[in-house]
Amino acid sequence: MINVLRRLAFAVLNILLVHAVAFFMLHNTRGGPFDSNRQLSPETLAALEQRYQLNEPLVTQYLNSIKGLATLDFGPSLQYQGTSVQQLLADAIPTSLGLGLGALIIALVIGLWAGVYCTVSRSKWKATLLRLSSSSLLATPNFVLAGILISIFAFKLRMLPVAGHAQLSSWILPCLALGLPLAAQLFVLVSHHASQAKTSNAYRSALARGLSASALRNNYVLRPSLTPVLAFIGPATAGILTGSLVIEQIFSLPGLGTFFVQAALARDYTLALGVTVVYTATLSCCTFIADVLIMKFDPRNEAV
Amino acid sequence: MKRKSPPRWQIALLLCICLIAVATPLLPLANFSTMQPQQTLVAPQITTAPYLGTDAQGRDMLARLLWGARISLSVGLFGTLVALLIGVPFGAVAGLGSARRDNILMRVADALESIPMVVFILFMLSILQEYRIELASIGFGRLQLFFFAIGLLFWLPTARVVRAECKRINKMGFVDAARSQGMSQWLLFKRHVLPQLWPSIGSMLIITLPRVILMEAFLSFLGLGVEAPAVSWGRLASDGMATLNPLVDAGWLLYLPSLALVGCLLLFQSLARWARDYVNLDA
Repeated sequence: MINVLRRLAFAVLNILLVHAVAFFMLHNTRGGPFDSNRQLSPETLAALEQRYQLNEPLVTQYLNSIKGLATLDFGPSLQYQGTSVQQLLADAIPTSLGLGLGALIIALVIGLWAGVYCTVSRSKWKATLLRLSSSSLLATPNFVLAGILISIFAFKLRMLPVAGHAQLSSWILPCLALGLPLAAQLFVLVSHHASQAKTSNAYRSALARGLSASALRNNYVLRPSLTPVLAFIGPATAGILTGSLVIEQIFSLPGLGTFFVQAALARDYTLALGVTVVYTATLSCCTFIADVLIMKFDPRNEAV
Repeated sequence: MKRKSPPRWQIALLLCICLIAVATPLLPLANFSTMQPQQTLVAPQITTAPYLGTDAQGRDMLARLLWGARISLSVGLFGTLVALLIGVPFGAVAGLGSARRDNILMRVADALESIPMVVFILFMLSILQEYRIELASIGFGRLQLFFFAIGLLFWLPTARVVRAECKRINKMGFVDAARSQGMSQWLLFKRHVLPQLWPSIGSMLIITLPRVILMEAFLSFLGLGVEAPAVSWGRLASDGMATLNPLVDAGWLLYLPSLALVGCLLLFQSLARWARDYVNLDA
C-alpha cells in the first residue's frame, strides 16, 4: 500500500515538473501568440495581453497556471479566441481515445498471439515469416504504412473509406496503421520472453507431468511473458491514447494530435500546456496502473 | 559462450549504399531539382531515360533517391554522434560519481523522458529557428541545427547504458587498485574506464542510427524536416503520400523511397541486433 502511495506521489510530482519545464520553455521562446495576426496596434496588443494576463511577471503567470492546473481549468485558448482549452480538449479526447483503444486491441491480439505462436509452433518457415514481417513493420515509418494501407484497401480494392469518422468502417484503417507497429514491438518482446520461459525448469517439469498442449501454452509460456508486456504497454498506451498525430492528420480525425503541433507553433501557451499536461498525466496514469498490475500479477515485485 | 559472427552480407550491402551515396555527385545523373513540366509523373522505365520515373514536378526520381540517401544517412550519422556526445559524458558523470550525484542526474533524466518527445522537438526546432541568424554567423546552417535537435532527442538511452557500464567497470579490481594508488578521477576514466566503454558506445551508435533515420522521416512528414531543395528519403516518401490519390496512379512515388528507407533500416536493424548480442546490452 505504501508502495502504491509513493508511486502516486511521484506521478503527481512528475506532472508538476513537466508542467513547469513546458511553461518556461514556451514563455521563453521568442515570438508571441498574437504575432501571426495582421499588424496590431500597440494599444490593441496591450489590451489583448491585459485580457489574457500576459503582461504580469512570469512568476505570477506561473502561479496562476498552477492554480488552474489544480482546478483543471487551463484558461482560454489564445489561438481559438472565445473557446476555453478544456472545451477544445474535451472535444478532441474521445476521438483520440477511440483510435487508441482500437489500436491497442489490435496490437495486443496480434502481438500476443504471434509471439506465443512463433515460440510454440514447430514450423520454421512460419516463424521466420512472422519475424521478418515484424522487423519490416518496425522499420516502416507510420505514415508510409498508412499510405500503403490506403492505396491497397481504399483505392485498389475500394473496401474501406479513406478518411472521416462517421461510420465504424472508417476507423479500421487508422487503427491498423497505429496498432500494427505496436503489435510488431509486442511480438518481439513476447517471443523473446516466451522462448526464455520455454527453456525454464518449470516448463520442463510441466511437460514431464504430461500437461496438455494448451495448458502448457497458456500457463507456462504465455503467463510468464505477460509481466514484461505489462511494463512495456503502460508507457506505450499513453503514447497511443494521446493519438499519433501523423495518423490523425492522414485520416483527418479531429483528435489531440493536431493540437500538439499547432499550439506549440502558434505560441498558444494555454493550449500547448493543456495538451502537455494531458499527455503527461496519461503517461503517469498508465505507468502507475501498469506498476500496480505488475505487483498484483507477479507478487515477487512487491518487495521492490 | 560462442559469439555470433557479424552479419557479413548486410554490412557489405550497407557499405555499398554508403559508397554510392558518397559518390553521387560524380555519377552521370539528371539534376535532382530541375523541374521538367513536360515530363511529369512518368512511370519507371527501368531500361531507358527516367529509369525510376519522375515526380509531379517532372524531377528525376533516381537522382532524387540517391541525393536523398546522402541526407538521410548523414542525418542518421551526425544526429547519432550528437546523441553520443551528450549521452556518454552524462552517463559517465552519473555512473562514476557519488551515489547522491547519480541519483539527482538520473531523476533529471527520468523527468526529461516524460516530456512528450514531439512537443520537445517542436520547441527545440522553433527555438533554434528563432536564433538562426545568430547561429548562421558562426557557420551553423539549417541542416546542422537539424542534426543537433535530433541528437538531443536520442541521448537518454545512451546515457543509461553508459551509466550502467560505468558502474559495472567501477567495481572491478583493477579500477580499485588504480584508485587506491591515488590516480585522479579524470585519468582513471581515461585509462581504465573509457577503453572498456568503447564496445557499448559502438553498439549504441549502431542501435541509435536507425531510430534517428526513422525520426527524420517522421519529422519530414510533419514538415519539420530538411528544407527544399534538399531531399531526404523521408521527404520523398511524404511527397509520395501527398500525391496519393485514387485518380492518379503514382504509387512509385511512395513505394520507391519507402523501399529504400525500409530496406536500409532493416539492414541497420540486423546489424544492431548483432551488436546488442555482442556486448550483451539491454537497450
